[in-house]
Amino acid sequence: MSDIKLSNVSKTFGTVSVIDDLTLTVHSGEFLVLLGPSGSGKTTILRMIAGLETIDKGTLEIGGHRCESLPPGQRQVAMVFQNYALYPHMSVSGNMAFGLENIGLGKAEIAARIAAAAKLLEMTSLLERYPAQLSGGQRQRVAIGRAIVKQPKAFLFDEPLSNLDAALRVRTRVELAQLHQRLKSTVVYVTHDQTEAMTLADRVVVLNNRHVEQIGTPMEIYHRPATRFVAGFVGSPAMNFIQVKTKLNGKKIGIVAPSGKWIALPGASNIKGDVELGIRPESINIVDRDADATGQVKIIERLGERTLLHVQLDKGPLIIVQDSGLSKLNINSPVKLKFNVSQISLFGPDGKSSLRSAASK
Amino acid sequence: MKGSRFHISRVGAWLITSLTVLIALAWVFPLCWGVISSLKPEDEVVRPYIELWPQTLTFDHYYTALTNSLIGLWYINSLVTAVGVTSITIFSSMLCGYAISQLNFPGRRYLYMLILACFMVPTQTLIINHFILMANMHLLNTWLGMILPQLVYYPVVIIVYKQFFDGVPKEFREAALMDNASEWRIFYRVYMPMNWGITTALAIVVFIWTWNNFLWPFLAATQNETMTVPVGITQVYNAFGVYIARRLAAAVLAALPVVLLYLFFQRQVTQAITLSAGIKG
Repeated sequence: MSDIKLSNVSKTFGTVSVIDDLTLTVHSGEFLVLLGPSGSGKTTILRMIAGLETIDKGTLEIGGHRCESLPPGQRQVAMVFQNYALYPHMSVSGNMAFGLENIGLGKAEIAARIAAAAKLLEMTSLLERYPAQLSGGQRQRVAIGRAIVKQPKAFLFDEPLSNLDAALRVRTRVELAQLHQRLKSTVVYVTHDQTEAMTLADRVVVLNNRHVEQIGTPMEIYHRPATRFVAGFVGSPAMNFIQVKTKLNGKKIGIVAPSGKWIALPGASNIKGDVELGIRPESINIVDRDADATGQVKIIERLGERTLLHVQLDKGPLIIVQDSGLSKLNINSPVKLKFNVSQISLFGPDGKSSLRSAASK
Repeated sequence: MKGSRFHISRVGAWLITSLTVLIALAWVFPLCWGVISSLKPEDEVVRPYIELWPQTLTFDHYYTALTNSLIGLWYINSLVTAVGVTSITIFSSMLCGYAISQLNFPGRRYLYMLILACFMVPTQTLIINHFILMANMHLLNTWLGMILPQLVYYPVVIIVYKQFFDGVPKEFREAALMDNASEWRIFYRVYMPMNWGITTALAIVVFIWTWNNFLWPFLAATQNETMTVPVGITQVYNAFGVYIARRLAAAVLAALPVVLLYLFFQRQVTQAITLSAGIKG
């Protein structure tokens, strides 16, 4: 398995810049997820690594070898497509053998590799079937099998679960994680589904509008979003945002909560003026006294193990608060809310996290 | 209300069916009459009234047409010409359609427009050029001379293939590229096997069109031995004098292979006609 290094890579389609000066390293054996909304450039990055899109500027190294000018078949990476792209007129074993025949492997070697991959993916009984005779989940396995037999330096996945139904998606996600643990392979995985990103990734690259917003472990991305976009994009339901003012109290810096209460933010020294407070629904507690904000419950979503309350703040926007599954609150109930200070994010007018930059200083 | 609407739609269906049957009869009657007449003795054929069934059934005219003309040789000429034109047209059109649809090369759009422009030129206008060219190359009265000019007759096949390849998801090509397949292997291992249905259909119609083609074979063959069946049967008049039944028997023999092709490959022929509908110039 090998590193993948993209250095100062740029890509334009006509006059439109799609990727601008991207530098990114995927470590050997790492499961890296490119996460972002449609049009964020994540698939373009994957296709540039695969060789299906040219790299206009910059360099690409796979396993220490420069690859940006090599054709796709010679980069020693395997790709699993969103719609699997199984050749309809070839059997499962034919699909898996095609790539190996092209590199001139002997029949015995091809048969051995197919048998090994089929055993690993538990699809030995499917080898003589044709793609049309397979279910969505089985096709997905064959597509992965076709990648495995090539023994590539890295696997590239382009939204491989998006064509599966919800139950199968969850199961295949777990299987993919297990497969990665067994193969210890380098994986670049593109998705717009944050659950996939959070559950599968060693590291997540959050992309928006053709640039990298943040690179970090799933927990870093979730708990310490670098930008307002990341905060809003990752997590379901999304993070709540409330406009607040900063205020010095002696030498200590803090913010004025919607209730008018001053909240100290230790370590935050470079913030001033109006900022946006970001807080996740599970970091807000319902209390009897000493509230940071007050409001009225407008909508109740009971999800079984937890309840989501949509609360209209008395002085602020509508926010979502997580309560226990057996919440006794009703619509129009008044509530008092307290923020978990350690989970607060602050975003300046430029959308970047102020608190994070302050804390890191 | 419901009942009356049902009534109207039933009457409409009956009207349309009756009209279709009438038109079909008008279409099929001359053919049937021709076949029936070819089975009558000559004196029954020239009677001044219509007899729908022969009083005396005879296969003599077929025997005479087969034994006293070169129709066997004409069949071979037709077969070689039709198979040659069909196979070369299909194979080159498939490659051309694939290249225009899938490969990125400078001038691709212009090449496609040029092929589209070919529809504006009736093949008849090329006849003189073709004749002079073939004569200068000493290819008149040869199979090659019969085949070569007809290779440009069916640009529609290129367009049908191009549209087919356009419709194939690009991921197949990309998957094959990732599989380290060469352009040639992508074409013949991935794309070609996907279009056997359309290839069969197109091959059958090109075969039929070529078999039935008259003008170029009529000009390119100046000797009895080198004629194709449709050209040859016009010579039956000279060979037999005015024997209508014999000429009809020869005509039936000429049409027989095409009729059989239609019967066996009806579905494919319909598919090919549908595919090229609105394109064919």
